[in-house]
Amino acid sequence: MPIHEKSLIDPNQVLSAEKLVIEGVDVSGHWNTMILPRTVADYDPEFQKKIKALPGGENVHRCWQCGSCTNSCTMYAINTDFNPRYWIYCTNLGLQSEIVKDKDIIWQCVSCNKCTNSCPKDVKPEGVMKALQHWLEAEGHVPVSQSTQFDQEFTRQCLERGRIEDSEVMFNFFRKTGVDIVELVKKGWLGVFVARMNNLPLLRDGKLGKFIARLPITGPLKMGWMMLFKPRTRGWGKTGTVLQTYLEEQKHG
Amino acid sequence: MNDTILVVGAGPTGLSAAHGIASVGRKVVLVEKEDRLGGAPILSGYAKLVPSGEWAKDAIGRMVQRVEQNQLISVFKDTKVTQFDGGHGDFSATLSNGQTVQASAVVLGTGFTHFDSINKPEWGFGTFADVVTTTQVEQMLVAGKIACPSDGRAPERVAILLCVGSRDRQIGREWCSKICCTVATNQAMEIKELSPKTDVYIYYMDIRTFGLYEDKFYWKSQEEFGTKFVKARIAEVTIAPDGKRLLVKGEDTLVKRPIVIPFDLVVHAIGMDPNEDNPEIAKVFGVGLEHHGFVDRGEHYTSSFASTRPGIYVGGSALGPEDIDTCVSHGLAMAMRAVGDLEARARKAA
Ligand SMILES: Cc1cc2nc3c(=O)[nH]c(=O)nc-3n(C[C@H](O)[C@H](O)[C@H](O)COP(=O)(O)OP(=O)(O)OC[C@H]3O[C@@H](n4cnc5c(N)ncnc54)[C@H](O)[C@@H]3O)c2cc1C
Ligand code: SF4
Ligand code: SF4
Ligand code: SF4
Repeated sequence: MPIHEKSLIDPNQVLSAEKLVIEGVDVSGHWNTMILPRTVADYDPEFQKKIKALPGGENVHRCWQCGSCTNSCTMYAINTDFNPRYWIYCTNLGLQSEIVKDKDIIWQCVSCNKCTNSCPKDVKPEGVMKALQHWLEAEGHVPVSQSTQFDQEFTRQCLERGRIEDSEVMFNFFRKTGVDIVELVKKGWLGVFVARMNNLPLLRDGKLGKFIARLPITGPLKMGWMMLFKPRTRGWGKTGTVLQTYLEEQKHG
Repeated sequence: MNDTILVVGAGPTGLSAAHGIASVGRKVVLVEKEDRLGGAPILSGYAKLVPSGEWAKDAIGRMVQRVEQNQLISVFKDTKVTQFDGGHGDFSATLSNGQTVQASAVVLGTGFTHFDSINKPEWGFGTFADVVTTTQVEQMLVAGKIACPSDGRAPERVAILLCVGSRDRQIGREWCSKICCTVATNQAMEIKELSPKTDVYIYYMDIRTFGLYEDKFYWKSQEEFGTKFVKARIAEVTIAPDGKRLLVKGEDTLVKRPIVIPFDLVVHAIGMDPNEDNPEIAKVFGVGLEHHGFVDRGEHYTSSFASTRPGIYVGGSALGPEDIDTCVSHGLAMAMRAVGDLEARARKAA
């Protein structure tokens, strides 16, 4: 049978070998390439429920596959593999493996919400893209994104102490995401940031006294102190534990 | 001139026509071939009707009662017209019970016949007990229990296949049956209501829930009752290796992949065929049939509901697939036409 749509052949469905045994039959010498069938053999109704429970996924079941979202999508214009309509369909039928296959493109959504504005069923496809990203992260299909790592550190401190310490959040965030702080000061935005906090032109003009007088000293000192002693909000007590339980409950419905 | 108008068929169309004619003081002879009045909704035991949500036996029951209690209407059940002569204003009909009826005009409300799913053997009806039709589901809904006929278990998963016996050149049915999308989306909701654990999947080529049926049935079914819609025309229904569940095979055209999905119950959303009596009706009454086999219209705009023979009017699902609301208005419109034409003839003669 001729192959009508070559684009439908998945690389991981193609078996190619010098010696090939299919279902116990040695077919070497006759064929050296076989394409496995790509039949959908079941639906998983639980998958849609999982996505609906995540922020942004609430309306996914409303989709009727008109394609307005994909047609208006900023990313689709650049890469036709970026197809919100398709992922939404796979979500509704529970074809998880199709979602996982596209794990490396789904995150590319730029949240422009053109899809949201064109969807006649008010599905909010942009939200679904977010929910899918979160699911992919939570299931370990993709590494935890930087923004999630930031959120995690931020939340951790809030729950523990009822407050955050900016420098500690940044420090831990850099550590977890493997950012080289020295490099960042030397070449990156952190260097620019520090330079702007200090009045460097004064130094260049040899006005050392004025420069030192304007150095931000108490702020950083306070930050350092707090990083060391980690004070909690007064009366925080068990509030963090209670909040934590509440969050868990929300997450698992 | 004779004062009586003959109405053939006592479904929603005929019942509405009979009452309409009597309401302006004319006599009616109503001839129905079955032993009960009410047409398909009563004969096939439908549950709640779309769009009113009323039980068929209540809604159509009221129409039947109104006709049976009307002094001007004589009802003949278990009866057909076997011979028919004369012309507009002066027809003579012989009934199968031997009686003769003189009538000035005739209204045909002879309706449709349900598609017989046996004619699509690849979809498993008649082969597997758990393949049923939408009329059987209506009856289950009336009984208040959704169950697999094979062993009485509550289905975990139901597939409704749309367009069974419609839109199919293979079996010479090139029309859309108009109401089955709405009926199917409604049944999905009613199934979920009776059996909340059951998931319903509808396999479609298009969803044609026309007019106000769109949000009331299609959207509601999907958005509030979780009905899933899969774009595929099923190729075949077979039995799973466990000998219990059914396998629904086809191509999901949206993921461009073959599907073989297990289901407990498969429902055919059967279409509306021309009344199987139509060849006989055409012969007895001398009216034409259009090329699908429904009764033909004379002219649409200035002679609405005319058949091809003067003095015989036709409406409702005898003309093609229709919903009940439309049939009821066809019935009234035919009453208006039949009486109005007779009045005009009388004025002319005077
Ligand atoms: C599964 C299913 C569910 C449906 N549910 C709905 C719904 O919820 N709401 C809705 O609006 N529509 C529904 N419909 C459509 C509805 O059934 C029709 O619109 C309606 O029955 C048509 O009315 P009718 O009077 O034209 O024809 P029929 O209901 O077919 O009535 C015709 C009558 O004429 C009699 N007859 C036929 N031939 C002769 C003859 N030669 N001599 C004497 N009598 C004769 C028949 O016995 C019958 O009583 C449904 C259809 C199907 C298939
Ligand atoms: S929000 Fe994302 S999915 Fe929606 S149009 Fe923009 S890029 Fe595409
Ligand atoms: S625009 Fe909305 S309804 Fe249409 S395919 Fe996209 S999500 Fe579905
Ligand atoms: S109403 Fe729907 S199911 Fe019925 S024939 Fe038309 S498209 Fe098919």
